[in-house]
Amino acid sequence: MKTLKNQYPPGDFAVWIIIYVELITFSGLFLGYAFSRRGDIELFNASQLLLDQRMGFINTLILITSSYFVVKAVHTIKSMGADKEEASRKAALWLLGSIGLGGMFLVIKMIEFTGKYAEGINLSTNTFFMFYFLSTAFHFCHVLLGTIVLFNLYQKTKIGGYTPADHVGLESGASYWHMVDLLWIVLFPLIYIIR
Amino acid sequence: MDVITRIWIALVGFTIFAFLLGWLKLVSLIGVGILLFTTFLKGQLVIDYFMGLNEVELKYRVIPTIWLGIVISLIAVAYYLPV
Repeated sequence: MKTLKNQYPPGDFAVWIIIYVELITFSGLFLGYAFSRRGDIELFNASQLLLDQRMGFINTLILITSSYFVVKAVHTIKSMGADKEEASRKAALWLLGSIGLGGMFLVIKMIEFTGKYAEGINLSTNTFFMFYFLSTAFHFCHVLLGTIVLFNLYQKTKIGGYTPADHVGLESGASYWHMVDLLWIVLFPLIYIIR
Repeated sequence: MDVITRIWIALVGFTIFAFLLGWLKLVSLIGVGILLFTTFLKGQLVIDYFMGLNEVELKYRVIPTIWLGIVISLIAVAYYLPV
């Protein structure tokens, strides 16, 4: 039997327009990096060795797990039973976990950025680091915004502001957060691993 | 164990695999292809199960999939095309 599909993606459609635009914008940075590398492969490979792959790895695990927590929060609201207060409390806890992880990502990235500046490496050092700082700092801004959005969702969820019939705002914020995760999933191997 | 938890475990597994390839300096030309393929799989899992687009009509589901496919393919071209 054919399963009936939803006509539109979850959340407000406006957030999906933003998601599509963001994906296209970041693809410019990804492809700019990949094709610029062809101009000086040795420089890119040598510069890449100056990055700490462990930080990129930990941040990938953090974002994936944070995204997972957000999915659990949305599912908790969607499958809410008679005890609405308990479901809202559980969903709020999942969101609080994802906010904590978002904060951890930002702290690790700040440590990485300040470490590089302390070593005298910045946007103007070479083409590799120009792309590194541009793409990761731009992504950092998205994580920061996403964490603020999650905090607002947490506040509303905590007071029982979402129900199975009305949780468009929650799904919109969740979709944005998953986009941030998706972008990092491409960024991590590209900048830190592939050589 | 629910589907979402299994997806999360798969994503963590792919991430550990990618990190180990890099950490152990095993990224050869074939390694680049494997890494890009697993990156596509990871992205598709996020699109389908975290974003929930596997429950949405195909026309909306394929937009991020096409984006991911084009980006990964062009990155592969940039790495594999002779300089």
